[in-house]
Amino acid sequence: MTLSTTATPASPKPRPGRFDSDLPQFWIAVAILVAMGIIPAVLGSSYWEHSFQLMNIYIAVTILQNFLFVDAGQKSFGQGVLLGLGAYGFAVASGINDLPVFVGVLTGIVVAVAGGLLFALPALRVQGFHLGFVTLSAAVVFPQLLLQMDSVTQGLNGISMPTPGLSKPLVLGISPLSILCTLLPIAALAFHYGIRNSRLGRQMRTAAESPEAARSLGINPGHMSSLAFILAALGTGICGVLFVPAVSFVTPQSFLMDVSFIFFFSVVVGGRGQLLGPILGILAVFTIPNMLLVDLAEYKPLIYGFITLIVVIVFPDGIVGTIEEARRKRNQTGGGERAFHLSALTNWLNSLPDHAASETREPIISLKGATKRFGSVVAVDRVDLELRPGEIHGLVGANGSGKTSLLNVLNGFSRMNEGSYTFDKRDVSRASAADIARHGLGRTFQNPRIFPAFSVWNNVRVGLDARQSELPKELRAVLDSMRDDYASGLPTLLSHGQRRLLEVVRVALKDSRVVLFDEPAAGLSAEEREEFSSLIWLLSRKLGTTIVLVEHDLDLVWSIADRITVLETGKRIAQGSPEDLAKDPAVQHLFVGGDHAHA
Amino acid sequence: MLNEMFANFDMIMTILLRGAAVGSLFAIIAMSFNVVHNATGILNFAQGTIFMLGAFGAYLLANRVGFAVWIPMLILVSIVIGLFTAAQGWLTLKPLRSGVEQNSWLISTMSVSVIIAAILTLNFGVFGNMVRGPVPRFEILGVRTDGAFLLAIGSMFAWYFALRWFLRRTFSGLAISALSQDFDAARAAGLNVGRLQLLAFGISGVIAGSVGFMVAPMISVSPDAGLRYVLNGFVAAVVGGIGNNTGTLIGGPLVGITAALTAFYIGGAYQDLASLLLLVAILMFLPQGLFGRAAARKV
Repeated sequence: MTLSTTATPASPKPRPGRFDSDLPQFWIAVAILVAMGIIPAVLGSSYWEHSFQLMNIYIAVTILQNFLFVDAGQKSFGQGVLLGLGAYGFAVASGINDLPVFVGVLTGIVVAVAGGLLFALPALRVQGFHLGFVTLSAAVVFPQLLLQMDSVTQGLNGISMPTPGLSKPLVLGISPLSILCTLLPIAALAFHYGIRNSRLGRQMRTAAESPEAARSLGINPGHMSSLAFILAALGTGICGVLFVPAVSFVTPQSFLMDVSFIFFFSVVVGGRGQLLGPILGILAVFTIPNMLLVDLAEYKPLIYGFITLIVVIVFPDGIVGTIEEARRKRNQTGGGERAFHLSALTNWLNSLPDHAASETREPIISLKGATKRFGSVVAVDRVDLELRPGEIHGLVGANGSGKTSLLNVLNGFSRMNEGSYTFDKRDVSRASAADIARHGLGRTFQNPRIFPAFSVWNNVRVGLDARQSELPKELRAVLDSMRDDYASGLPTLLSHGQRRLLEVVRVALKDSRVVLFDEPAAGLSAEEREEFSSLIWLLSRKLGTTIVLVEHDLDLVWSIADRITVLETGKRIAQGSPEDLAKDPAVQHLFVGGDHAHA
Repeated sequence: MLNEMFANFDMIMTILLRGAAVGSLFAIIAMSFNVVHNATGILNFAQGTIFMLGAFGAYLLANRVGFAVWIPMLILVSIVIGLFTAAQGWLTLKPLRSGVEQNSWLISTMSVSVIIAAILTLNFGVFGNMVRGPVPRFEILGVRTDGAFLLAIGSMFAWYFALRWFLRRTFSGLAISALSQDFDAARAAGLNVGRLQLLAFGISGVIAGSVGFMVAPMISVSPDAGLRYVLNGFVAAVVGGIGNNTGTLIGGPLVGITAALTAFYIGGAYQDLASLLLLVAILMFLPQGLFGRAAARKV
């Protein structure tokens, strides 16, 4: 089989705008924070100095909430609790019990992380609104406990802990406290920017956007959300420690539920996921209402409740997000054929020598007596399946015959009720999907999992992130050119066919020894089908990847598969080469009305 | 000795009865969660403050009145709150239609909850108000009991059977049940999905509002208390398996009795902590709840 080179050649094209504005937003945010830290001190306004110190701490907490909310997909209504735990841990240790400051600081952080575990542990098992209720519940309980445990916390009286040393001007009238309070949100921002552009950050985001896709890439979504909660708790605990010198005393009043609401609502109003969002969010939700309603404090919840409701309904992207969306629309270029093509990759694959034929080698996958039931329905009924390394194996059958259920057993989404499953000499009958994926299995989905939050290149890159083996040098060069082409590409401009091909590239870069394709040709044009089958042919013949192809397009299957298994009502009714099966009377009815029988 | 035992028996009965009564309120909140959840897939965080709106309705319109006023006011308040909740549902579902934005409901229902509580606080202050209802106190097993306790337990069963009848015997109810099974299929079958979802919101408002009105005498009628009911109602729903109304009949009283026992043996301030720990434990070890079922995964 040869490759039709329909792809466009590389030609100079107008440089499109950045995919996102994270970096400019980062620097604007730093400039604002530095200005807020320095100007009041230089002007000698101690009122504004104190106000900005507290505001900066709130901004830092909100930045961490922004990370948790968007990058890790976790909605928490309880970040104020973690702030309070950090503050009380420090104040109780050093303010009441006179422990050295560094012990107190450590206590505050440890206590906050322990509180974070209360959120992180359920996150291992459940997602979404469940954690919303857990965190909200914690926000309700926390002030009650502070009052109740007055032998430790001094109850309603709170703990007074002045730190005059920190407030003495150091340089230009700026106190060490102001410097710390300025560095804190900058550090939080640097953390957010850094983790977002790291492998871990991309994996967290993948898990947040599509837990299934994450598991098929070897990521355990529970671990990701749990880790995100702990990281956010750690940072919020540090904010809590700094809260003590900034305010000089802590009382349960400082950590009522409203505080948690302010952090959550600020993320939404500022613009979910935007680096600059928390600063403008805190300004809109906390600072400005505070200034305007000094004498009408009881109106504050009403104001921020309404601001948030209006933002969610009228411009859900928030302040910064709305501007960013407009910029993206203006800079939107590309699309069409250029948005994603494969020539670089297929050229490289074509240049490789053929992978050694593998007829005689042991099966890489061996499934015996696999049975999967859903209630009284037997979706997969005692199926045996052996796959040889490098073969293209078609899986066909009518709708409801159990093809997708079998795929889900193979990649670990469903656990078999009975049967054994060996993958590359290892028993994976009870293994999780993420485990099996790390062992070398990849899959695609009926609806391609393309993440709009990532550029086209980063969408490809999550496959690379999941790769376990060394990258060949020639492939590295191919990827460099892909990065140059797609680093600013908008995935929303990709056609359905391009999304499919992108998913194939992603799973190929993951270096999977077995790849499962779930109805890959559905919705592809004739040309795209051609491109797709060339690609999987190359994967099988050049890289020795085993391919399992679930597909309704029997022409495609018969033209490319080495062997085919036919399923009916969950049972395997036939297996063999395309030529043999075409003559098999048991399979004839599949072709009724078609002209495939002579294939 | 024997006297002491009887005293203890009295006390235990009081705790159990109080726990079951408060718990049946949690069960009712859980049922009103379920109606909306089954029709829309979302949970209304404002359900607790909506319940509190019903209680404030009783405080304003039916405090210390006889049945002749109480019953018409109950009907009026239930209808008004039902309409209000349907309007809230319309607002909540609006951004979800775009298809891109699927998380906004969490934020919008939460902000509505904050707004309702803020408005109530501005008008009535933060402290609890007392309401006297028309149902007299009576003795059960030698324990003097507030009539509202029995109303709470009674309305749990009444709403349970009413919902069961509605969901199984009426066209709209069957259509809402169909939504919970398969959204797209229901739409393809020509059901007016949007209208049914608003109906579900309306019904959940009528349930929460009417019960809030009836049990106002047994609760502290304060703006902040709504959160307590929404949280415990959620725990009850999780214990029983989200979407499962029969489960709430166990989940609600279980949460209520746990809270009552905690209040008695450890201290009233620890009730909510007990519910939180119960929630975390259930999510860790039985995330499907006691009666939830494992669903076939869709990929």
